[in-house]
Amino acid sequence: MSEHPLPPGTVAQVTEGGPPLFGLREMELNFGPQHPSTHGVLRLVLKVDGEKIISARPDVGYLHRGTEKLFETETYPMVVPHTDRMDYVASATNNHAFCLVAEKMLGLQVPKKGQYIRVLLDELQRISSHLLWLATAAIDLGAITPFFYTFREREVILDFFEEYCGARLTLNCMKIGGLPLDLTEGWVQRVAEFNATLPAKYDEYEDLLTENRIWKKRTIGIGVFTKEQCIEWGVTGPTLRAAGLAWDIRKAIPYECYPELDFEIPTGKNADTYDRYIVRVAELRQSQRIVAQCCDWLLKNPEGEVRAKVPRVMKPPAGDAYAAVEAPKGELGFYLVSNGGNKPYRLHVRPPSFINLQALPEMARGHLVSDLVALIGTIDIVLGEVDR
Amino acid sequence: MSLLNMVMLTDIFGGLKLTLTHAGRPADTVEYPERAKEPSERFRGMFKLDEERCIKCTLCAIECPINIIYIDWHSEKNEEGKSVKVLDRFDVDMKRCMFCGLCEDACPTNPKSIWLKTKTYELSTYERNEALYLDIVKLTSWDSNVKPFTPRPEK
Amino acid sequence: MSESILYYGVIPAIKAVVIVLVMATAAGVLTLFERRLLALLQVRKGPNRVGWEGSLQWVADTFKLLFKEDIVPAKADKVVHYLAPLFIIIPAMTVFAVLPWGPEVSFFGIKTPLYAMDVNIGLLFVLAVTTIGIYGVILAGWSSNSKYSLIGGLRSAAQLISYEVPMGFAVAAIIVMGQTLSLVEIIEAQKRMGLWFIFPGLVAFFLYFVSGVAETNRTPFDLPEAESELVAGFHTEYSGFKWSMFFLSEYANMVTVSAIATTLFFGGWLRPFPNVAFLSFLDFIPPIIWFLLKVSFFMFVYIWFRGTFPRYRFDQLMALGWKFLIPLSLGNIVLVAIAALWGKTGLTVLGTILTIAFAAGIFLAFRVPPKRLTVIEKSRPTEVPA
Repeated sequence: MSEHPLPPGTVAQVTEGGPPLFGLREMELNFGPQHPSTHGVLRLVLKVDGEKIISARPDVGYLHRGTEKLFETETYPMVVPHTDRMDYVASATNNHAFCLVAEKMLGLQVPKKGQYIRVLLDELQRISSHLLWLATAAIDLGAITPFFYTFREREVILDFFEEYCGARLTLNCMKIGGLPLDLTEGWVQRVAEFNATLPAKYDEYEDLLTENRIWKKRTIGIGVFTKEQCIEWGVTGPTLRAAGLAWDIRKAIPYECYPELDFEIPTGKNADTYDRYIVRVAELRQSQRIVAQCCDWLLKNPEGEVRAKVPRVMKPPAGDAYAAVEAPKGELGFYLVSNGGNKPYRLHVRPPSFINLQALPEMARGHLVSDLVALIGTIDIVLGEVDR
Repeated sequence: MSLLNMVMLTDIFGGLKLTLTHAGRPADTVEYPERAKEPSERFRGMFKLDEERCIKCTLCAIECPINIIYIDWHSEKNEEGKSVKVLDRFDVDMKRCMFCGLCEDACPTNPKSIWLKTKTYELSTYERNEALYLDIVKLTSWDSNVKPFTPRPEK
Repeated sequence: MSESILYYGVIPAIKAVVIVLVMATAAGVLTLFERRLLALLQVRKGPNRVGWEGSLQWVADTFKLLFKEDIVPAKADKVVHYLAPLFIIIPAMTVFAVLPWGPEVSFFGIKTPLYAMDVNIGLLFVLAVTTIGIYGVILAGWSSNSKYSLIGGLRSAAQLISYEVPMGFAVAAIIVMGQTLSLVEIIEAQKRMGLWFIFPGLVAFFLYFVSGVAETNRTPFDLPEAESELVAGFHTEYSGFKWSMFFLSEYANMVTVSAIATTLFFGGWLRPFPNVAFLSFLDFIPPIIWFLLKVSFFMFVYIWFRGTFPRYRFDQLMALGWKFLIPLSLGNIVLVAIAALWGKTGLTVLGTILTIAFAAGIFLAFRVPPKRLTVIEKSRPTEVPA
C-alpha cells in the first residue's frame, strides 16, 4: 500500500472495495479507430486488468455525416439515395424502410409485382449482408478462408443488383410508390437458378465452422445477452432472436407481401455468440426460401406494374408516421414528421447498429480482449449506420 | 458431437478436407486489367451529355440530391426570330457524384440528354479537379479519346 | 594436419555458409509458397505479377523490406529493441547445424555427410536452442513500448514455455524407441527396424506436431501475433530489416519443426518402407529429395491449417496444453516404454494396433454425416413483449 499520491490516470482500486494492490492500476487500451477488426472506425476505450476487460466504452462519431439533418434539406424522392449510405452493406432495406414510411404518409399502395420485387431485393440483400457478416466474424476469430468462400457468393448477388438497378453497393433501387425499373429479361430465372445452388454453399461454410471445436470454444458462452436484457436495451435482430424471442418485423408487423410467404423465424436458446451465428446461418437458409418463393411468383406473373401512380410533387399531409423493416441487423425504423411541405420536417432513423452497439460494454465486461473481437463481430455493426 | 467424433477429430479433418477439395477448383477471381467484367446494361457510371437534345430545363440540377450540377443559360434569337435557350455553363462536379441516377430519371427528353449508362467506371485520375470537374466540353466529348470497353476473351 | 583442417575447418565453414544462405533464401521462397498455396485453398490466384506466375515476388518483397525505413518508437528501449530480432534469428539459424538433410555423399572425392555436424545430443540441442528464441519475443514485446506488443510478448512467452513441455515428452517417446539422442542415429534406428516411428509413435507425432505449430506461433495457435486482436502482436512496432528478421525466423522455425518431425517420425532421408526389397526402385530418388519432400509436406500442412482453422483464445490454449496435451504425452511415454521392452517386435505390434485403430476410427467417424442446420425451431407465434 503506497502512501505517496498515485500518478495521474491511476485507478485507485483494481478490485472493488480493496486497497490498491502494489499500486497496480488498470491498463487503458485504445481499441481502434484504426484497429483491423473494429469494422470501420469504431473506437473502444478499454480498461483491462491483464487481458480481462473491466470496462469498454464505445466512442462513436468518427463517421458522422449529419444525415438526418441532410434529409430535411431534400425533397422526398431525393432522400432515397442518402439512405443508401447508412448501412452501406444492406442499402436495399434502407431504401425500403424510407419508402415505406413515405408511402404510409402519402397513402400509396405498391402494386403486387412491385411488392414481390421489393421483397426479393430485400432478401437478396439480407443474404449478402449475412454473408459479409459471416466472412468478417470468421476472420476476426482467425479463420480466413470463409471470407473468400462467402465473397464468392456475395459477388454473384451484387452482380444481380447491378443488372437490376445499375449499382452494386449503394443501390438506390427503390422509389416512393414502388420501384424505378422493371425487371430485365431472364433476371428472375437466373436469380432462381443461383438461389437453388445456395444451400450447398451454406453447407460448406458450416463444414468449416459449425462443428469446429475451435470455433465452438471461441463462441459458446461468450457475450451472453439475455432476452430480458435485450428488451431493456432495445436490442433487435439476430441478437434478440438468439436470446429466444421470435421477434421479427416481417412477422410481427408485416409489410409488403410477407404474409403470403412461407418462412420461419429461427431462434436460439443460449443468447451467446454461437447462437447468434446459428441464427444467422438459419436466416440465410430462410432467406433462400423466400427468394425461391418470390422467384416462383414472379415467373408466374411476369406482367404488371411495379410502381403506383405517384403525384409529381410529393407533399404528404402534416402529421407523423413510423414504419420499420426487418433489416439484416435488426429493426430499421424511420420516423417521419411532415409539415405539409415537399421536404421532411424531421426524419429520424432508428438504426439497429447503433442500438445494438450499446449492448457491447455490457456483453464485454469480464471477457478477454480476444473475446471483444468476437463480440464486435457478433453484434454486426456497420459504422455508417451507427454514426449516420 | 459423439465421443467418437470428438476423439477422431472429425471436425478438424472435415474442415481440412473441405479446404483441400477447394484447392482443385479454378480460381473465382477475375484478373482486372487483363480481363474485366463487363458492366451490365443498366450500370450507372460516368456522365454523358448530349447538348443538342438538352432543353435547358435544369430539372436534373434541381433533382440532384447533392447539388453537383450547375447550369446557366440565356435566351437568344435564332435566324427565324424564335427565342431559344443557349447553355452558358453545364458543369458536373463529378468527384462528389454518388451515381444515384436521379438526374437521368428527371430528364424529360426522349432519349435522355444526360445519362450515366456509359458503362465507364475507370475514373481514377492523378488530378481530381482537372479530370472530375466536368464542363460542357468534357461532358460531351470525354469519350473521344477513351477506348470503348472491350473485355478480353476468356482463356 | 591439412586433412584435419579440411574436415574440421573448411568443410564445416562452407556448410555453415551454405545453410545460412539457403535458409535465408528458402524463407523468401516459402512466403511465396505459402501465399500461392493459401490462394489455391481459397479459390483465388495469389501473387502472380512479378516474374513468371509471381515466381519473383519474394525477391521484390525482400528488396522492399531491406530498403524500408527503420522506425524505432520514440520511447522504446533502443538497445533491447535492436537486440530482440537477433535473439530470435540466431537460435533459429543455429538449429540448422544439426538437422540431418541427407547421408554421406562425395563431392570431388571428399566424402562428407549432408549435415553440418552430428551432435550426439542433437535432439536436446534442438530443444534447448529453439527455446532461446522466446527471449527475442519477450524482449521485442517489452522494448517496443506499445501495449499491444506487450500483450503479444507475454502471451508468446507463456505459450512457448507451456508447449515446450508436451513437445519434450513427445520427443522423449522417440528417444525411448530409438535409444539415442542423436538425430542421425534415430534415422539409422528406423532403418534398422524397418519401421518409421510414426506408427508406434502416432500419439507422439500428434503431440509433437500440435506443440510444434504452437511453438512456431502459427494458426490455430497464432495468438502472439493475432492480427485481428493485437494488430501484429510482439512485432507491431518493427519495420524494415528488423521486421524481416522476425519473418525469417518464423519460417526458419517452421522448417525446423518440419525437419525434426520428418527425422523423428518419417524416417528422415529414408524412402518409404526402407527394408522392403521390391520397393527398392524408389531408390533412384536421392535421399535428400526424400527428406525435402517430407519437409515440404509438413510445410504444406502448416499452410493448410492456416487456411482452415480459427484461432484459439489464450486461456483455452493454455488449458489445451496443460490439461490435455501434457497428461496425454505422459501416458504416451508409458505406453511406448512398455512396448519398447520387447524391442522391435513390441514397437511393430504397437504400431499395427495404433494404425488399425486410427483407420477404423476415421472410417467409423466419417460415416456419420456432419450436422447441418436446417430449421432450428418451428417458428412460434410472435409474442409481443409487454
